[in-house]
Amino acid sequence: MTLGIPSSAIHIQPAGPAALPTTPRTPSLVTIHPVVLFSILDHYLRRTDSQDRVIGTLLGTRSESDVIEVRSSFAVLHSETSEQVAVDMDYHKAMYELHHKVNPREVIVGWYSTGSNLNTFSALIQNFYSQEIAPYPAIHVTLNTGVDTNEKAGVTAYVSSPVGVFPKPENCVFTPVPTELKFHDAERSGLDLLTETAASPSSTSVQPTTDFEILEKSIGSVSAMLDRVLTYVRAVIAGEVKGDAAVGKYLMDMLGASTEDLEKGGFNASLQDTLMFSYLANLVRSQAEVSSRLALVTS
Amino acid sequence: MAATSMAAALAASLPAPAAAPAPVAPSYEAIPASMAKVVDIEAEIPLTCVQLDAMVVTKILKHARESNSTTAHGLLLGLDLDGTLEVSNSFPLPHHVSDEDDKSAKSVARYQASMLRSLKEVQADDSVVGFYQAITLGAFFNQTLLDTQAIHQEKLRHGGIIIVHDLSQTARGNASFRAFRLTSAFLDAYKKNNFSAASLINHRLTFSSILEEVALKVRTNPLLSSFLGVLTEPTRSEATDAPPAAAATSALPPSYGVLDLGTSGVTRNLEQIIEGIDNYRTEEGNLAYLLRQIARERSKADNHVAKRQEENATRIAQGLAPLPEEDVNRLFKIPPEPSRLESMLLLGQVDAYAKTLSSTASTGLVKMYAAKASFGN
Repeated sequence: MTLGIPSSAIHIQPAGPAALPTTPRTPSLVTIHPVVLFSILDHYLRRTDSQDRVIGTLLGTRSESDVIEVRSSFAVLHSETSEQVAVDMDYHKAMYELHHKVNPREVIVGWYSTGSNLNTFSALIQNFYSQEIAPYPAIHVTLNTGVDTNEKAGVTAYVSSPVGVFPKPENCVFTPVPTELKFHDAERSGLDLLTETAASPSSTSVQPTTDFEILEKSIGSVSAMLDRVLTYVRAVIAGEVKGDAAVGKYLMDMLGASTEDLEKGGFNASLQDTLMFSYLANLVRSQAEVSSRLALVTS
Repeated sequence: MAATSMAAALAASLPAPAAAPAPVAPSYEAIPASMAKVVDIEAEIPLTCVQLDAMVVTKILKHARESNSTTAHGLLLGLDLDGTLEVSNSFPLPHHVSDEDDKSAKSVARYQASMLRSLKEVQADDSVVGFYQAITLGAFFNQTLLDTQAIHQEKLRHGGIIIVHDLSQTARGNASFRAFRLTSAFLDAYKKNNFSAASLINHRLTFSSILEEVALKVRTNPLLSSFLGVLTEPTRSEATDAPPAAAATSALPPSYGVLDLGTSGVTRNLEQIIEGIDNYRTEEGNLAYLLRQIARERSKADNHVAKRQEENATRIAQGLAPLPEEDVNRLFKIPPEPSRLESMLLLGQVDAYAKTLSSTASTGLVKMYAAKASFGN
């Protein structure tokens, strides 16, 4: 689940100053929760006319194994002109305290901005955030919204290190860090709902959907895939296409699954259980309905 | 190499009509010449639909999962336009512990106010339109939810809405969001703080008429739609010998969790039903006890009145002044009729649990037969 463009380049890690045992390691992986991306996009949509890009604070958790998990974010006011940059620090602090109240486990891990160009101002803001969360390194996530032509939408995370003979806040090197989209399995269906909504022509979907509709869709897509495989296998058998051994192996693994349990009466036992659930549930529901109606009967 | 040849072969051999789905033309909403008719300051146009922004969907999902209990609740922000309530933002409320209720209520209010102020500064919507609440297994009736909603009913435009998000259903593969609002019958009874049997009859209240469902739509804005499109798009790996699993990776690969045959949640569901019924029985027992007590007191009072009337009749016959009959209210305290709200809510919970169970069972049946069919041949 890698975000952005995959590359075979080695991600260079700036060597820390003589790796003291107390110095935290530079992150080797940044995982981002979808809510962060969505919030950034929303913030970008709500920017004022004069703003080219928006910035905000990233909150998340740091694990021992140098993975930074970005779990939420909030917008921060800032203004940029060609000469200077100003970030509303009071706002940032107040907002962090509010977030901290609800979710005490999430701490500041870095900041985001939209657009993918890194300039002197980026270095200055990065410097501020680094000071804020020292001794941990701050990460910077850029989100390209894909609005500008010739630019692909994507997300990149960076860590920074000072550069130059005399370290100055406006000079630093941003080194990209591998970035992944991460969410809990239980949230998967929510994202599916959104991708489906996004794909529909009106960008809206009517809720709530029943379990059956979802099931139908899934079965439909599985059946479509089986058709694809079948066409391919037929073509191979007929000699039209040269068979790929790897594909064959995968198909054999997949379709050779054991059906012993089903054949040994497991199906019937399970079926009876399920039918019992269904009966019981309907019984309880009708009893509840009757009971509530009886309460309304005048004596 | 292998992958491309396979795709090409498949494309060639696919049945022709299915392979070419006509691109669906996007439907554009006509912009009315004047917005005067759709903007109502006095909230006169009734709400017909709630529109939930994708960001709010993810925010609720995240908050509900992380706080691993049914206590996750928060505020919804947005605006209504021409009968559609557009929920454009949300924020979680801190989970308050029940001790020092007054203090925690104050701190929540302070939190809420400063959050709204902060959001306003970054051009986000800052008008509260309702609440969201995370639930499990379909049961969302609880006293605190109704209380909060009823209290805010007065302050919010259109009385506010409740978005209910079912965690367990979402985990099973159907992200469930539903919108509700309190019915006028319930509100009326709530304002009078009277949930006696007579009041329930007058208002025709059962658990199914406490809340009414409002149509809910989920919307993604165009920017987000395009971004999601990029995320789901598979990117081909540059290595030619990559295994199929790694050959085409995407940030959001398709998933088939819905087809999982496991019925692990059912036990929990059954337990919940039993617990619900037990609670309901206890509550009914309490009610019956109170009702008996009332009947006893009343019959005592009636006896007293009858005796007094008899006594008075003899006294009048003897030409004496009758004793007062009004002191019966002073002598006997008839307890007020108990509120049936709690028992009604419990019954609603039981019903909701059963409904979830029945839908799990029915989808389970379909999946079982599907599995049997695929292995049977």
